[in-house]
Amino acid sequence: MKKYLYGASAFALATTIGAQAALADVTLLFWPGPESEAMQQVIDAFNEGPGQELGFEVEQLLFSRQGFFDKELSDLAAGSTEFDLALVTTYTLGRYAPFLEPLDGYLDADVSNHFASVALDSLSADGSIYGVPTDISVHFAYYRNDLIDELMSNPDWQARYSEIAAEHLGEARDPVAPDDWTWDDYIATALFFTQSINPDSPTQFGSALQLQNLIFNIMIWQSTLVSNGGNWMDADGNITIDSDAARTGLNIYQTIIDSGATPPGSLSYEFAEANAAFGTGRAATTLQWNAAFNIVNDPNEYPETGGLVGVAPMPAGPEGHRTHSHSLGIGMNAASENKDEAGQFLNYLASIEAQEIYAAAGGTPAVPSILEGMSDVRPEFPLIGQFAADYGFVINGGTAAYAVPVYEVLAQEFSGYWSGQIDIDTALSQAADGMAQAIAQ
Amino acid sequence: MQRRREAWLLIAPLVLFMVVWLGFPFLSNLYYSLSDVTFETLSSPTLVGVENFTAAIDSAAFWQSLWFSLRFALISTAAQIVIALILAIALRPLLERYRFLLAILILPLMISPALMGIMYKLMLNEFVGVVPQYLALFGLYPNLLGPDWVVTVVIVIEVLQWTPFALLLLLTALQAIPDELTDAAYVDGAKPAHQLRYIVLPLMGPAIALTAFIRFIDSFRVFDHIYVLTGGGPGTLTTSSSIFIYRAFFQQGRLGFAIASSLILMAFSLLLLWVTMRYVLKGART
Amino acid sequence: MTRRREPGVIGWTWRWILFIVAAVVLNLPVVFTVLTSFKVNADINASPPVWLFEPTLQHYIEVLTTPTLNFPRYLANSFVLAAAGTLIALVLAVPAAYAIVRMKFGGGTIVPIVLMLRTLPLVIFAIPFYFMFQWLGLLDTRLGLSIIAAIINLPFALLFAIAMVRDLPYEIEEAARVDGASIGMLLWRIVIPLGRPMLISIAILSFIYAWNEFLFGLILTTRSATPVTVGATLFATSFGIRWGPTSAAMVLSLLPPMLVGLVCFRYLTRALTAGAVKG
Repeated sequence: MKKYLYGASAFALATTIGAQAALADVTLLFWPGPESEAMQQVIDAFNEGPGQELGFEVEQLLFSRQGFFDKELSDLAAGSTEFDLALVTTYTLGRYAPFLEPLDGYLDADVSNHFASVALDSLSADGSIYGVPTDISVHFAYYRNDLIDELMSNPDWQARYSEIAAEHLGEARDPVAPDDWTWDDYIATALFFTQSINPDSPTQFGSALQLQNLIFNIMIWQSTLVSNGGNWMDADGNITIDSDAARTGLNIYQTIIDSGATPPGSLSYEFAEANAAFGTGRAATTLQWNAAFNIVNDPNEYPETGGLVGVAPMPAGPEGHRTHSHSLGIGMNAASENKDEAGQFLNYLASIEAQEIYAAAGGTPAVPSILEGMSDVRPEFPLIGQFAADYGFVINGGTAAYAVPVYEVLAQEFSGYWSGQIDIDTALSQAADGMAQAIAQ
Repeated sequence: MQRRREAWLLIAPLVLFMVVWLGFPFLSNLYYSLSDVTFETLSSPTLVGVENFTAAIDSAAFWQSLWFSLRFALISTAAQIVIALILAIALRPLLERYRFLLAILILPLMISPALMGIMYKLMLNEFVGVVPQYLALFGLYPNLLGPDWVVTVVIVIEVLQWTPFALLLLLTALQAIPDELTDAAYVDGAKPAHQLRYIVLPLMGPAIALTAFIRFIDSFRVFDHIYVLTGGGPGTLTTSSSIFIYRAFFQQGRLGFAIASSLILMAFSLLLLWVTMRYVLKGART
Repeated sequence: MTRRREPGVIGWTWRWILFIVAAVVLNLPVVFTVLTSFKVNADINASPPVWLFEPTLQHYIEVLTTPTLNFPRYLANSFVLAAAGTLIALVLAVPAAYAIVRMKFGGGTIVPIVLMLRTLPLVIFAIPFYFMFQWLGLLDTRLGLSIIAAIINLPFALLFAIAMVRDLPYEIEEAARVDGASIGMLLWRIVIPLGRPMLISIAILSFIYAWNEFLFGLILTTRSATPVTVGATLFATSFGIRWGPTSAAMVLSLLPPMLVGLVCFRYLTRALTAGAVKG
């Protein structure tokens, strides 16, 4: 009997001590998908390595991507302590910053050296950094190597191309390699590969634009705005969304829509639908996020285009090639009860070692040296770093608290114009008004 | 007097529940609606009076969304009731003999509209979707989510999903009609059409009104499947009141404005409720 | 008492045809979801879509075994919140409905107020409920979501409970009253048994409503109480929706309410009593 008693008290003691010595676990909020799967590898490496020495573990918490930002905002604003670290993005940063901890005091001084500066800038506000960059995004002009090779070598195709350009754009043009596309070249190529215009086209449509009333689609469109010299606002903060550059940009899309060179369903397209249109061989080109490369070039996902996909910078305007660039990163919940531990993990996450693990697991880190080094497994990676550095922009106001509300306004007005509900003057003036209202909030 | 006390006793749990769970949300919403409040100032809103209400009343987009919801609700309710009524009357013998058949018919109710919206994205996709493929068999190539068709499409989706709801209720009501009434009419030599017109439909009046009422209210509030499928677009073509308010609330962070808009909406529905309820509640007390 | 006429052969035939057409059209999205859940990705992405394909269980396996998810738990959460939400709503609504109809008490004020709940866009309650639940420790709990489900179901339950009581034969109640039955007795022994078909209809529909709720399931849970509607969207990624696992998750989420429906249908017997009394 005594023996049992001893045993029981030893057990009780052990569990009590165990409870006292419990590790201060850190929770990281992310969304489901390739990014969090890659993050899990980094976390596993941390928990098995540095975490052992530091005496704590990190775990991941996933929220549905459907309404992710709404849920995250509610939690942060209400001071939830369910998570210590959370996904932040360029466009939501300004809004979340009041509920986030500035990271400057937690990160070693030399971390900024290896990240692309555009990524660090896009996760900073008021001179403080609020997120350790994990993924960088730019846009590519996607094309099919087989089709473009044929176009560049087949004289019949070239003659037809020239005719179509003369008929629809008012000037005979010769085909140009995708890397040198201007917007006019892009439009001409899109028209050439559209069966209603060129019955011999191997594809039904020349382009697949994403026109749904959605903020991400405005980010893609912004290349037309900025490459034509426009912006949300000028350096003094005056709203310039109703400029001629915006008009030109909107009309680049409208020309493609009106000529039937993008599928009629484009009005409801977002990322996945554009991939489907391009990947099933229905559309010859598309303007799309870099993340699509690995999907449409994968024969298991899309047998039609797998292995045939080429990418170029977004077509050029008078200001050259320009691409919207934004970053995902991990920030710290200001209400966290484990800030020291969370900071230690972020410091690890910022290291080259961690970013390499992240890249190998499928992430797209904002570290140019890593992107360069992976060209054999991810042929598009070097281009991401290169385009971000050479052509990347963060729109004026794109990290402010009003960024998402402004994107919302633009998405609503411009999709209204593209669908023929309102004319361009109305769209632009309502966009400017809506922007002013969103900024005043 | 004892009856009064009993009545109080019966109704008290409901009232108590409402006060406990909705008192605080309602009061805080009332306060928010009169305040300048964003996610940053959730716990320190500044009172600004009726500013949010005037902003909502002045907002063309608000009225536009209201008009969409109204049309959407009217058309889809009418369609649901008519189809459900036909199915209930025609299929009644079948559904009574093989009860599990009804379970098959009400299956669509059991998928969340939010998930249904996701699935329709795939079904309506012009290249890999099954609906365009079927329409193509008939030589039809409509741009289903384009401006010409999108409103029809979201209404059809609503009708397909919720007609079973109306069917279930109307069938229950149909079964509650005493056989003797219809039998007597049959013995008297009434034709089936007359029997339907003069006996069945009038007796089902209250049930039809009730079902239509519920479906109207729910359809008026439509959010999930449209939001997932079209985001309220193209432009604002499918922006219902709920979508308008959701966007103002979360995406634009205009909490006060969103709540004020909802309260205006509520005032309207209250009016509507008071009018319709007289009929719905009283019904035919045989 | 005469029997209703049975349809003849022709009557049966066209009814079957109508049933099949209705079942196919109404269930098109369901059928499509089921088919998609058994397709490999290349078949899902095929253009034009394919009807014949080699089925695969890979998506179901993924849904049920992904370590970062806990799908059985999501199903259990949804089941608890839908069942509890339905029960609470009925327990509150039926007595109140009796008072409103038979005692003419409070109907004019309570009914519009309760119904008003259903006309409001629920999103405006998200933040107040968040704060209240945070304070009460109900965030991310099944109890919290059950209360939400009850609130969502209450307007509907009350309205139908009123309709149910109204259609009950008053004579039986009167007789019981005269016999000295207490009000509780009356409800338990007469109102509920007589109203059973309607009650079961209300219960099934309330269960389904609660089962389908998404917004509060998203905002008010983090990991423990996540309902299946939210869990099924965990296969939507920033790289696109993963149709295979999403549709498999939807099919799994369809099974419990279907089972509830099938079980309850046994009790949805004809309401003979009304006729029996009045005839």
